[in-house]
Amino acid sequence: MSEHACVDFKPVDAILSRYPREEPSLIQVLQDVQRAYNYLPCDVLTRVAGELGVPLAKVFSVATFYKAFALTPQGRTIIKVCTGTACHIRGAPQLIEEVQRRLGIGPGGTTEDMAFTLQTVNCVGACAMAPVVIVGEKYVGAAKATTLATHLVQGGGE
Amino acid sequence: MPTLTIDGKTVHAEHGTFLLAACRKAGIDVPTLCEHPAVEPYGGCRLCVVDVTRPEWDGWCKMVVACLFPVEDGIVVHTRSQRVLDTRKVVLDLLLARCPETPLIRDLAATYGIATTSYVKNPVPTDCILCGLCTRVCDTMGMSAISSVDRGAGREIAPPFRGPPPACIGCLACAEICPTGFIKAESGLRKRRIWEKDFDMLRCPECGRSHITVAQADFFAGRGGVPRSYFETCDVCKRAALAATATRLGGPPATPAR
Repeated sequence: MSEHACVDFKPVDAILSRYPREEPSLIQVLQDVQRAYNYLPCDVLTRVAGELGVPLAKVFSVATFYKAFALTPQGRTIIKVCTGTACHIRGAPQLIEEVQRRLGIGPGGTTEDMAFTLQTVNCVGACAMAPVVIVGEKYVGAAKATTLATHLVQGGGE
Repeated sequence: MPTLTIDGKTVHAEHGTFLLAACRKAGIDVPTLCEHPAVEPYGGCRLCVVDVTRPEWDGWCKMVVACLFPVEDGIVVHTRSQRVLDTRKVVLDLLLARCPETPLIRDLAATYGIATTSYVKNPVPTDCILCGLCTRVCDTMGMSAISSVDRGAGREIAPPFRGPPPACIGCLACAEICPTGFIKAESGLRKRRIWEKDFDMLRCPECGRSHITVAQADFFAGRGGVPRSYFETCDVCKRAALAATATRLGGPPATPAR
């Protein structure tokens, strides 16, 4: 637990003050923590468990269950490559390779400068736009490996 | 009192109980892996599936897990229909793929005619069948020190952050209840180790036997009502003291009064 010992507790305390101190608040609190810290620091999870009166093991169980939560620091921009059936057929593997070649990170990896994290997702429900890549908040439909680099800008661009 | 028919037998079940208890009352064996009297039913292992129907359903039946299906008046239950047996076979086949070396699973699968799994064997064989008995008994104890972690194929039972669990008091309930012996613990005269956490043992002031951990005594005493000294003496010595008191007071009547 000493790995990120010098974590700032101010954001999590502000988040906790907005919710009732009870178990049903857990997921909302964790979502806000994920947004504020870009991951779930273990010391913050311990604080959340204590404040909400939820056993730490349960908090850890929830934190590892949902893909929306990460226990390691994530890049400022998250690149999600859809690997659903339609996207897979229309070239998702090549898109992953392209990101890997450009940024030097595999699925689940984060660049050293903490700019990007590459994730694969099972299906984003936009099969008509296949293959889909989501850079930050921006959805790129009919993505091509040759033009993907133009979309790999910090924050996802316009 | 609901009356139901299980494999042709008429069974009177208790109100508010589940089908599994009714089956057992009728002397019908239903296999289970995640059921235990110490914890609430869970419906996790899916081995206790049975077919439920009613005469007016025209042959239609639904498959339910007996451990979580409340008894109803007039239902007709089949515990060994072909559909039920086939479903249990799939469950055991999958379990055998996960735990190819676990005697409990191998033996149970063998009784259903499965010698080897038809799926791809787990490259990293484990004895954990994910029945959840350990986490549930830990919840029942009031510790919740371990839990289910991750999801899907990577799901496992682990303490928070996969390190020594801070909430664990070393009571060994999880290791005792584990049906496959997956949870390992070492107990000595002075030390106990489980989940990579070390505990100091408490020795009985009367006989010197180490019977519980210091953390256990602290936890039990902290719940209030009973002084810590009560937990320091081991059960054997407590019984001996009780027997001595009873003898001094004249003892129980030799023959029960008629």
